[in-house]
Amino acid sequence: MLGAHRGPLTVTDDFTVLDDPVEQQDFTQPCEFDGQPGCESVLLVQGMYCAACSEAVESALAGKPGVVSAQVHAATRRLTVRWDPARTRISDIARAVGASGYRLLPLQQALSISQRQAETRKALWRLFVAGFCMMQVMMYTTPMYLSAPGEIAPEYLHLLRWACWLLSVPVLLFASGPFFASAWRDLRRGRVGMDTPVSIGILVTFIASSGATFDPAGPWGNEIWYDSLTMFVFFLLGGRYLELKARDRTAGALDALINRLPERCERQAADGGFEPISLKRLLVGDTVRVQAGQAFPGDGVLLSAGVTVDEALLTGESHPVTRHQGEMVVAGSYNLAGAALVRIERLGRDTRFAQIVQLMERVSTEKPRLAQLADRIAAPFLLLVLLAAATAGLGWWQLDSRHAISVAVAVLIVTCPCALSLATPVAMLAAAGALAKRGVLVRRLQAFEALAGIDTVVFDKTGTLTRDRVVLRQVIARAGVSSLQALQLAGPLAQASLHPVSRAIAQAQQEGSPVAVFREVQEIPGQGLQAGQGEAMLRLGSAAFCGLDELALTAAGQTASDASCAYLRDASGWLATFVLDEGVREEASAVLVSLRAMGLRLRLLSGDKAEAVARVARQLGITDMVAQASPEHKLAEMLALQARGSRIAMVGDGLNDGPVLARADCSFALGHGAPLAQAQSDFVVQGGQLSELVGVIALSRKTMAVVRQNLWWAAIYNTVAVPLALGGWMPPWLAGLGMATSSLLVIGNAMRLAYLPATNPSFSGA
Amino acid sequence: MESLYLLIPLSVLLVLVIMALFWWALDRGQFDNVEREGERILHGD
Repeated sequence: MLGAHRGPLTVTDDFTVLDDPVEQQDFTQPCEFDGQPGCESVLLVQGMYCAACSEAVESALAGKPGVVSAQVHAATRRLTVRWDPARTRISDIARAVGASGYRLLPLQQALSISQRQAETRKALWRLFVAGFCMMQVMMYTTPMYLSAPGEIAPEYLHLLRWACWLLSVPVLLFASGPFFASAWRDLRRGRVGMDTPVSIGILVTFIASSGATFDPAGPWGNEIWYDSLTMFVFFLLGGRYLELKARDRTAGALDALINRLPERCERQAADGGFEPISLKRLLVGDTVRVQAGQAFPGDGVLLSAGVTVDEALLTGESHPVTRHQGEMVVAGSYNLAGAALVRIERLGRDTRFAQIVQLMERVSTEKPRLAQLADRIAAPFLLLVLLAAATAGLGWWQLDSRHAISVAVAVLIVTCPCALSLATPVAMLAAAGALAKRGVLVRRLQAFEALAGIDTVVFDKTGTLTRDRVVLRQVIARAGVSSLQALQLAGPLAQASLHPVSRAIAQAQQEGSPVAVFREVQEIPGQGLQAGQGEAMLRLGSAAFCGLDELALTAAGQTASDASCAYLRDASGWLATFVLDEGVREEASAVLVSLRAMGLRLRLLSGDKAEAVARVARQLGITDMVAQASPEHKLAEMLALQARGSRIAMVGDGLNDGPVLARADCSFALGHGAPLAQAQSDFVVQGGQLSELVGVIALSRKTMAVVRQNLWWAAIYNTVAVPLALGGWMPPWLAGLGMATSSLLVIGNAMRLAYLPATNPSFSGA
Repeated sequence: MESLYLLIPLSVLLVLVIMALFWWALDRGQFDNVEREGERILHGD
């Protein structure tokens, strides 16, 4: 049955570019198997949708000569293949996988991914060491709790304490490493984070327990706290591990987006023929041929006749634009029709595309850092705890100096902030899990805190508030011709073209009855379509193409000045005007009403033409707007707003939104957007529904409410526990029980966030 | 009761052995993708 499972792609790539050593550096490293030198490559599998796909890919490679092993990781869609360069080539491997319906892509970040994997493994290893030692330590302490004093002979008690100590050492030295490292980092910067009291707690607990083990009559007292110590470390590491897993899952999904086939292009050789080469070998001044549907590899001058290009990736504009011979085309935009010859002028980091990406990367490091709630309270908390311990020690020194140190230590141990330190991450993890089920990826857990505090939502127009394709809004036709007739004339013409405007007209026409199909429809890229000759001539396209005067049409009320239009003419002149509209999404107005009800200000920040932006704004009742903004301009607007104290959530989808998305306090990308824009956003709505926005904001507010409840609960636990410890009435079993109960309560409270209603109640009207 | 002198050190040793075994499994990547083995039965191999 397995052989029946096939990938969805028809792969015709020849993959020879993968054999280029320059390309291979990125995803292949030498390794050794059974003493033989070989290569290990990590590649991304495109077209994988289910776990059975990973079997299909593996079986396509199993037994192939030269392939030593092949393993597919279903969740990250990653193929790790070990192969023998003497017996096979990576392009053969890619072709074999291609034949089974999947495409292999090189993974630029392969190395960063293997680093992440090593990190995850280490975290799991720490968690396991803490967990196993905890179980065994609890086993040894149970008889001490259950027996009456003196029931166990002192030598056996000593043996049990020794065993506890032995198993706590790896927990202290290895498993607690991350807490010590982070506390040390904070200390060197002169700050106090949540890990500072945590580290102090771990150290004091271990030292006091060791003192009690080796010198029961000494100043450290006679109580051991190994069970609390190991449990505490295990709980905290469990939280950290889940956080790491959540990050990995999101990062894996985004890696898959960013990677594309190495741009291979066809360079014109000296003899005039074309040869396929890797983008990395392309030089400024080379002439390349770009086929329809492909992206331009660099900024360059168009040498061939006019082409239609889609620059949506850069501008977010849904309309294709026409570039004539001698004009510039930009890297990353797509050639929509006909092959184009381009002389490359700028490559790599010099292109417009790379400049925007650089801007994005730069500002993302300047993102306003919200001092996290938990870290803000860490310093006063630590101060209070130290103060309480010092007072306790001094007080008891007066009363009974033998107990002074042990009471001070007990205060430090019971206040060890397990619940406090879990309060924030578990709530955010639960919320992120709930969102993942609804198709919203959370890239930064801390974004919940930022999102709960925003007061302004800024939208990019194209693709977020409006649909990413044009629709026909209105037909104005010549007297005596009905709109339907005009559509029936234009429809067959439009059907011959893939231009978005043509698609909109063709789709609108399909509702009417089918009419005669023109045999010969001619498409002039960027201008329009023509069918028939002489009296039967019919043209659909721009005003200039149809030989019409737009000003005269406007004066006669035969066109709309505030929207883009396409015209239809026959031999006797103007026949009809098709007024087009980038349709406002159906749910947009309901979403905006909900957002306003939440007390948020709304703004529009778009790169589109002023009239188009104004129209959308009017329709949705938004008064604040900026039109015709370049990425730099958008960023400046955003900085000005932030300087005035606004906290901003940005919703965008194009690459030109990338810098603003990276700089906003919190950002959303809708799933159909540019991969780079998604990679810079805090939340990615994979389904692209705008309505999720309301739910995510509501959830983030609820998350912060739960975080606050958790912090309060932890504070209450401490205020109850400290007086008990001060009085010397806190035996180790009560301390351990209290710590476990408060941590479990905090986790239980956070779990309430994991069960979201399917739709947000405040948004039921949509 | 003297047997405890043998049993308790033995149990400590056992924990260390189990941890070593787990490290071996982890290092060989057995826990990198735990969902997959569970899903395998669904695919009619």
